[in-house]
Amino acid sequence: MKRSTLLKSIAAAAVVGAGALAAAPAMSAEVDGVMDDLRVVKIRAGEPITIGVYEVLSGPDTALGLDQWRGIQVAASDAGDKVAGHAIRFLTEDTGCNAEGGQTAATKIAANTQTVIALGGSCSSATTPAAPILWKAGIPNISTSASSPALTAPDRGPGYDGFVRVIYNDNWAGKEVGDWAVNVMGFKRFATIHDGSPYAEKLVRVFQKRLVELGAELVSDEAVSPTDVDMRPVLTKIATSKPDLIYSPTFVAATAYMLRQKTEIAGLEKTMFVGSDASFGAQLLEAAGKDVVGYKITTTAQEVEAQGEGYPAMREKYKEMFGEYPIQGFHGNGYDAFMMAKNAIEKVAVVKDGATYIPIAALTAAVKATKDHNGMTGMLTCDQYGDCAVYKFAVYEFNSDDKSTLEMGKNPKRIYPEKF
Amino acid sequence: MQKYFDIEFWRRVTYVDVTLWLMRAAVIIVVVWGTIGTLIDGRYSNEQWFDFVMFGLTMGGIYALVALGYTMVYGILRLINFAHGDIFMTGAFTAYFVASPLGKSGFLEENLLISMIIICLTAMVTCVIIALTVERICYRPFRSVRSFAPLICAIGASFFIQHSFRGMYGSSVRAYPDVEFFDKLLSIGSFDFPMIQPVVILAALGSMTGLYLIVMKTRMGTAMRATSEDRDTASLMGIDVNRVIIFTFVLGGSMAGIGGVLYAFVFKQVYFFMGFFPGIKAFSAAVLGGIGNIPGAMLGGFFLGTVESVGPALFLDGLGIVAPYQLRDLIAFTMLVMVLIFRPQGLLGERVSQRA
Repeated sequence: MKRSTLLKSIAAAAVVGAGALAAAPAMSAEVDGVMDDLRVVKIRAGEPITIGVYEVLSGPDTALGLDQWRGIQVAASDAGDKVAGHAIRFLTEDTGCNAEGGQTAATKIAANTQTVIALGGSCSSATTPAAPILWKAGIPNISTSASSPALTAPDRGPGYDGFVRVIYNDNWAGKEVGDWAVNVMGFKRFATIHDGSPYAEKLVRVFQKRLVELGAELVSDEAVSPTDVDMRPVLTKIATSKPDLIYSPTFVAATAYMLRQKTEIAGLEKTMFVGSDASFGAQLLEAAGKDVVGYKITTTAQEVEAQGEGYPAMREKYKEMFGEYPIQGFHGNGYDAFMMAKNAIEKVAVVKDGATYIPIAALTAAVKATKDHNGMTGMLTCDQYGDCAVYKFAVYEFNSDDKSTLEMGKNPKRIYPEKF
Repeated sequence: MQKYFDIEFWRRVTYVDVTLWLMRAAVIIVVVWGTIGTLIDGRYSNEQWFDFVMFGLTMGGIYALVALGYTMVYGILRLINFAHGDIFMTGAFTAYFVASPLGKSGFLEENLLISMIIICLTAMVTCVIIALTVERICYRPFRSVRSFAPLICAIGASFFIQHSFRGMYGSSVRAYPDVEFFDKLLSIGSFDFPMIQPVVILAALGSMTGLYLIVMKTRMGTAMRATSEDRDTASLMGIDVNRVIIFTFVLGGSMAGIGGVLYAFVFKQVYFFMGFFPGIKAFSAAVLGGIGNIPGAMLGGFFLGTVESVGPALFLDGLGIVAPYQLRDLIAFTMLVMVLIFRPQGLLGERVSQRA
């Protein structure tokens, strides 16, 4: 091919490509007479319905994702392992709780054009790049525990139009932590540590903003890298400013390093160390050992009595299926995400000549229109930006490093509020 | 100095030279400015500066032990054993299954020395077995081939080891037991530090000294240096090159095993991915000290560890930079680049053979 011809071909391809990209959000489809603004998935009789799942299933944060994946499986079992009359085929991917993992997992799920909806992810770091990849392929996404405010912010961008979540928004969490620390505990001097992840950094920023509003003092604003193991220098720096409380909503590994190494730092003996539910799980007890005692996490209330009415039965079924009681606090979210997806799919599914057709734009609208869904985590209603969760702020404190005692409400024990 | 007054010298100066000078000047200005600002601010007490240095030397001691493996293999084979960080992980992870029951039974506290010997031997044997397997499968077939194949094999081996151990031991974090003796505080004047810190530093120095004596004072060490100088000639002189290379991997693996155990007693957590970043840092330390040079690897490790620990507080606090510890890798690697700009051969330079 001549060079000029080659250049023209490339230019033409670029123009066509750009046109196709620009048209992507407005694409429409018709399959066997079933119309949709986005695309239609046809599931023949006897074929399974495909649902993508992407959670953290390896590394220090495994418990977070595995617990949610188990919650999804309990829900599927409760649904008779069928959605819209079809057996379920889960495409399950591990994100590793990082952006690269989220991107890879979403790309693999998006590559399967039979995927109707995706459930997950567990971490905002992974979900932030994953959700737009899924939506570009016309796959709506119900997140189980990605709580970064940016994911449902009014200016989040069109890539997140197919995204909703059944976890609380950190905007709510960060504000509540600030209120509790200043108004209830009476603390005045604060330090924060984040690990650069969208989850931890945004949560810390909301907390800091609330401190300013309440007239408290931020004496040290620190950050570490997710791969750091030596936290002693950063803790030494914080010790020089003598805070009453260190707020560090980091994940298991980083939190455990801090709890262990905090004891080596002079000047932090009386400083309260508070984290978030991102660090909750049996792995924290293993990793932090006896230094976990006294550590506090803030989260939405997760004891049996604070959950939806069906929760006790779900908990028992979880034990029956996996041989142990829930290993983390977000299995109910996995359950709710699945049930919301199931209800929406069954609402929009069109059955014709033995085949089931799922119009995806209609499915997305149905998911976003979820109202008064009686879930495991409470009564769920989605707002216009995709926040569907119920949030009941609570603070828990660990009282033992014995893994057999791990249970929300017992170890860690709720210290605030006393009653709901 | 005379050359700067020579007009020919200035004619030969290129844009690259000027850029490098400006870079050096900029980094020096930032470092000096930041340091003066921090010291004037007086935020840190002498005890806290001492702590920073001890934290850095502890971390540096671990880097140094791992760096010794990189540097020796490079010295003999001119090969960067990228799987070495993961070999370090295999020892620490396997030894956990010995350390944990010893800790639970109380034997570890009651018989610390014996327990540590058992734990270290477990880690060393594991690391040596894995290192020799990697050498046999990944490196030996390419020994006489001049290509990137061994490097690619090393990277592949790194991932293979990580995921094999993930499959074998699971992806969860495991925690080494607490040892009262290691947590005990030592005092020198107003400076307090836990026992584990000098233990790591002394273990690293002791290992390096032992290794150095082996290389410089034994017949095998002489054979190693000869092989490093010229493998073919060494072979013609009757040296069993295969044996020398195997011995080098045994030594490197042993150092990684000790480093892994010390790392695990300092930081407690072990899991399948734990070797990757310390491996990268240790490799950098080996380059910094002068790849192929045993004392250089040790010096590079201590330098990198100390810069990581002290650097953010000393250089960046004074400039008013928020959250400087997030930039610790940036500082450490900027220092590394600066050292290599000034001394491309590393702090101590040269290979094992040339120092003989």
